[in-house]
Amino acid sequence: MTRVLLVEDDRWLAELYESVLQRDGHTVDVAHHALAAMDVIENNVPSVIVADVLLAGSTIFPLLHELQSYGDTGVIPVILCTNIADQFDLEALKTYGVVRIIDKTTIDPADIAASVRSAL
Amino acid sequence: MSDYEGSYVVPPLVAAAHELKAPLALVRQLTLALQDDALSTEDRRRLHHQITLTTERALRLTTNLTKVARLEDALFDIEPINPEQMCCDVVAELTPLFAAYGRSVAVQSRRHPLLLVANRDLLRRILLSFTDNALHYSEPGTAVELQIKAFREAGVVRIGVRDYGPALSSALWRELQKKLKTAPQSVHARPESSGLGLFIASQFADVMSGAIGAVRHRDGATFYVELPMSQQLRLL
Repeated sequence: MTRVLLVEDDRWLAELYESVLQRDGHTVDVAHHALAAMDVIENNVPSVIVADVLLAGSTIFPLLHELQSYGDTGVIPVILCTNIADQFDLEALKTYGVVRIIDKTTIDPADIAASVRSAL
Repeated sequence: MSDYEGSYVVPPLVAAAHELKAPLALVRQLTLALQDDALSTEDRRRLHHQITLTTERALRLTTNLTKVARLEDALFDIEPINPEQMCCDVVAELTPLFAAYGRSVAVQSRRHPLLLVANRDLLRRILLSFTDNALHYSEPGTAVELQIKAFREAGVVRIGVRDYGPALSSALWRELQKKLKTAPQSVHARPESSGLGLFIASQFADVMSGAIGAVRHRDGATFYVELPMSQQLRLL
């Protein structure tokens, strides 16, 4: 069983994605902002991070930058799930551990589980 | 590291589009989730309710945008308004949305009544926008509060919407202060928000000879509108 950290500030989407991932057999930790995500990671290092970009308090990037500072967290694959996917270049974000960018405006909720499977 | 480090700056049009896109994307995802045959009746009802409330949010925003576009050509009736009554009306309108998110919203009542001078519809829209924004930045279990203060020497009444959520970084706060009246902002008031709501609110406040602003707290923020105080009560 893999541990997935879901960083999503919309509570309803978080519930939806959490349910999809749990049904796919993952243990899911949910954080609604970057600071909360850091606390979660300190207690349980996830196998994969699924994160929105624009969050309450800050964007996801300070968190991703922080994760790159440590050996154990710098290798966690990150999937960005955002409404502004078309604003990002995957190649440029690979230095943050981003392995995939998915567009919230076009995906089916079940695609979250498929993306996590492919990132493992 | 790439250019995204620290603060990602969203171009203004993209930011505005994002703000309009976000509720639509949510409705789409919730609708797709409804297709799951394994859902219980209760889950189905909850999803329907969430779709309705999200659609209403999107409609409020688009209606505000069209209103902003017509501001210069329109005439607005200005009248004395009891701010507490207005806040109570806004709270009543948004309570179902807050309840659906497991949050609450309340008016901090005043002992002494006040009157301000404003256009009823525009003020209502400003407060709905601030309160809706506060919902998304408040922590579970906290209550968003609508607070009314009088600054008698300045002759203004301030209605603030206080949320209890993650603190804004100093950098974001500086950008917010700098760009509070320009927009849609390239750096959003809150990261998830384009600042479009603030821009709309500032336009509405302007035509009522008012102003908007924000105060940062250790545990959240207050977004407020200041409007001229009515002299009527003093005459009574």
